[in-house]
Amino acid sequence: MLLKKFFNVGFADIAVVERKPFGLKDLARYPLFTKEFLDFLATVMPAHRHEELVFSIVVTARKRTAC
Amino acid sequence: MSYFREEEARSIIRDAYGKVRSDGAAVAEAFYAPEELDRLPRGAIELALGVGHPVRHAGLQPGEVVLDLGCGAGIDTLLAAFAVGPQGRAIGLDMTPEMAERTRRHASAAGLANVEVREGLIEEIPLPDASVDVAISNGVLNLSTRKSRVLAETLRVLRPGGRVSLSDLVLSEALPEEVLKSPAALAG
Repeated sequence: MLLKKFFNVGFADIAVVERKPFGLKDLARYPLFTKEFLDFLATVMPAHRHEELVFSIVVTARKRTAC
Repeated sequence: MSYFREEEARSIIRDAYGKVRSDGAAVAEAFYAPEELDRLPRGAIELALGVGHPVRHAGLQPGEVVLDLGCGAGIDTLLAAFAVGPQGRAIGLDMTPEMAERTRRHASAAGLANVEVREGLIEEIPLPDASVDVAISNGVLNLSTRKSRVLAETLRVLRPGGRVSLSDLVLSEALPEEVLKSPAALAG
C-alpha cells in the first residue's frame, strides 16, 4: 500500500531496502507508550502477533529527472 | 483509513510528542552505531523516537541539502548535517514547537552551524519547489492522515533526480479496531 502511494505520486526507483518485524518488545523501548497501553495491546493482539505487530521498513525512491 | 479527523490527529500527536520525556537510550541504541551516537548530544539520543535509520540509506554527499520530515528532537537531522558537511545543509521540519526547539538546541550543542529548523506541517512543506536534494523521515509518515499528500509535497520540494529515504511502520495484517481507535496507538 505504501509503495503504491510512492508510485502514484510519481516517484521512481522505489525499493524497500530494509524490512524487520516490530513487536511488543520493540514498542516497550519507546517512552511514548505507557505500561497500560502495552498491556492493552498484549491483551487484544493474538499471541502469535506479539513479536510481529507491524514491520519497520526503509523505503528509498527517486524523483525522475524529467518530472 | 483513519479513525481520527486530521486536526484531531494532529492535536493528539502534538500533545504526546510535546510532553514526551526520556532518560534512556534504548531506541537510539537499537538503530544507530555507537560511533554515530558518540557525536550527538545526550538529549537527541534520549529522545530518538524513530523506527529505523533512514540516513544510512540516503547516500548523503558533502554539499547536499537534506530535509528531515518530522525531525523530532533531531537525531537524524544532526547525523545528516554531519554527513553533508559545512557546505551542505540539513533542514529539520516539525509541527510540534517543543520538538523543533529541541532540534535547534541539540544542533547548537553539537556545534553544527548547517542545521536549520522550521516549524510546519509535512503536508504543507514550507519550502520552494525543487529546493532539496534528499528527503529523509523516520517514523513520521504513519502519523499523517494524508500520506499521499505528504509524498506529493516531498516530490515537489525535491530537485529532479533527488532522493528520499523513509523509515516507517507498516502492517502485514490488519490491527483490531479497538487498537486503531486508540489515541495512544495513533501517537506511536
